[in-house]
Amino acid sequence: MNDLADAAAAPVAGVEGRATKIKVRDVNFYYNRFHAIKGISMDVPEKQVTAIIGPSGCGKSTLLRMFNRIYAIYPKLEATGEIVLDGENILDPGYSMNRLRSKVGMVFQKPVPFPMTIFENVAYGIRHHEKLSKADMAIRVEQALRSAALWDEVKDKLKQNALGLSGGQQQRLCIARAIALKPEVLLLDEPTSALDPIATSRIEQLVAELKSEYTIVIVTHNMQQAARCSDLTAFMYLGELIESDQTEKIFTKPGKKQTEDYITGRFG
Amino acid sequence: MQVTSAEPLARDIDKRSRADARHDLIFHRLLKFCALLVLASLIGAALSTLWGGRAVLFGQGWHFLTNDAWNPVADDYGALAPIFGTLVTSLIAVVLAVPVSFGIALFLTEIAPTWMRGPVSAAIELLAGIPSIIYGMWGLFVFVPFMANIEPGLNDTLGQLPLVGKLFQGPPLGLGLLTAGIVLAVMILPFITSVMREVFLTVPTRLKESSYALGSTTWEVLWDIVLPYTRSAVIGGIILGLGRALGETMAVTFVLGNSYNITASLLMPGTSISSSIANEFNEAVGIHRSALIALGFLLFVVTFIVLLIARLLLRQLAKREGN
Repeated sequence: MNDLADAAAAPVAGVEGRATKIKVRDVNFYYNRFHAIKGISMDVPEKQVTAIIGPSGCGKSTLLRMFNRIYAIYPKLEATGEIVLDGENILDPGYSMNRLRSKVGMVFQKPVPFPMTIFENVAYGIRHHEKLSKADMAIRVEQALRSAALWDEVKDKLKQNALGLSGGQQQRLCIARAIALKPEVLLLDEPTSALDPIATSRIEQLVAELKSEYTIVIVTHNMQQAARCSDLTAFMYLGELIESDQTEKIFTKPGKKQTEDYITGRFG
Repeated sequence: MQVTSAEPLARDIDKRSRADARHDLIFHRLLKFCALLVLASLIGAALSTLWGGRAVLFGQGWHFLTNDAWNPVADDYGALAPIFGTLVTSLIAVVLAVPVSFGIALFLTEIAPTWMRGPVSAAIELLAGIPSIIYGMWGLFVFVPFMANIEPGLNDTLGQLPLVGKLFQGPPLGLGLLTAGIVLAVMILPFITSVMREVFLTVPTRLKESSYALGSTTWEVLWDIVLPYTRSAVIGGIILGLGRALGETMAVTFVLGNSYNITASLLMPGTSISSSIANEFNEAVGIHRSALIALGFLLFVVTFIVLLIARLLLRQLAKREGN
């Protein structure tokens, strides 16, 4: 078992001095019979930003969606291999879904506020995992909104419907909602693809601030974004991991021809 | 052929745009006519029932509404018992049908395996197409004897409870308000279910996924996310069902018992506005006939008030959510 893990770990380059938060080992994913992820192994370092890049349909979102097993709400999807979070395999059916989702938060492509007030949007997830008094809940909601750099903009309209916020604010609300549960890992699935450049740069700033507390995995098809805000970059193509290394290296001296072609815009 | 100058072309365009404007105008008027036709027939029906029932409505005034007697021999008519029966049976129907419809719709959209969704949805829509007389006959020949058998049991169990006990005490006739309410529930169930199913399908996947990603259970996603997101449409579906229940005639007439009673017991026979009209219209003359038509007018009013209350309720809910 350990030998297998070690062998699979061989091609993975880590970031020195950082503990590994998530170990992905020989992971496969199938949509019905379609083989979407083909034997991927990689390490996600703790409290760093890991970017997953690659052309549309390469499986980058699918890989991300394995990290919190959100795929499990649909029938006929199957994952094999191991994703080890803090020493435990989260793909093990015995791993508590509740625990996993409180440890791993996720933010989606398009901002999706719930049809309730701004306050309730943040409080909703907390309520599922913890019983807090009214005062404690107010503090937690404020903390989360502050961490997501949204507090100053919404503090006077917490009782208003969240759908009234702008797209960028809605996305920051979704980040606040995710970090309100105090997760350890934050998954961002193309979080800025529906936002304008100004809102995008605010989110990127936020990602830089959040990495002191959270392990962040971000999927993006925007290479500049990966270059700007990640420490480690993984390049995927047709369901395979072509290479993963420190971002600087991937964008200056990529190890593989395919990576170079993609980064220089020759395909993708 | 080649266009040699801009002159004839411009004239053509002018002509063309005048024709377009004319067609648009005709089209607008046609649509407006269709919409107004609905309004006109509604007002026409209301006015003609008002006119037909004028002898009773204006002759007796409020007395007609508060009188619980119905005596064709003495020409003494009151609308209280039929209104009571209509409201109670419809209320029972909605109370029973809504949770079941909700369950069916949620199961079909969120939980059922894909192969099952199509056939079951089709079956529900077929159920909506069964004529009400069939429900009435089924009610009388199958359901009434069944209810007569279980009603002594209801007496001994639910009938013994404090407060609600009175509702379930009475002779085991089989016919009555409860039986009619249950038959009505079966009838309106397909309507409410198909509306709910349609609107649950409109909830964006990413909204549900976001909630699952926070650790919600299926039930929490449905109750906290899917339902609030679709609430106004869901209430619309319930109102549609309620409207049908209020006006339903044949199925109710068969199993309600047709007696002008106002009792606390749901096991007692009663009457409803539409079943009174259906039962007595053939032999009614003079004041009796006028009283029945007046009942028809009251059905309009009752339905209108129920719809109004539903609207207000919806607005209240929206306000609480910060809209």
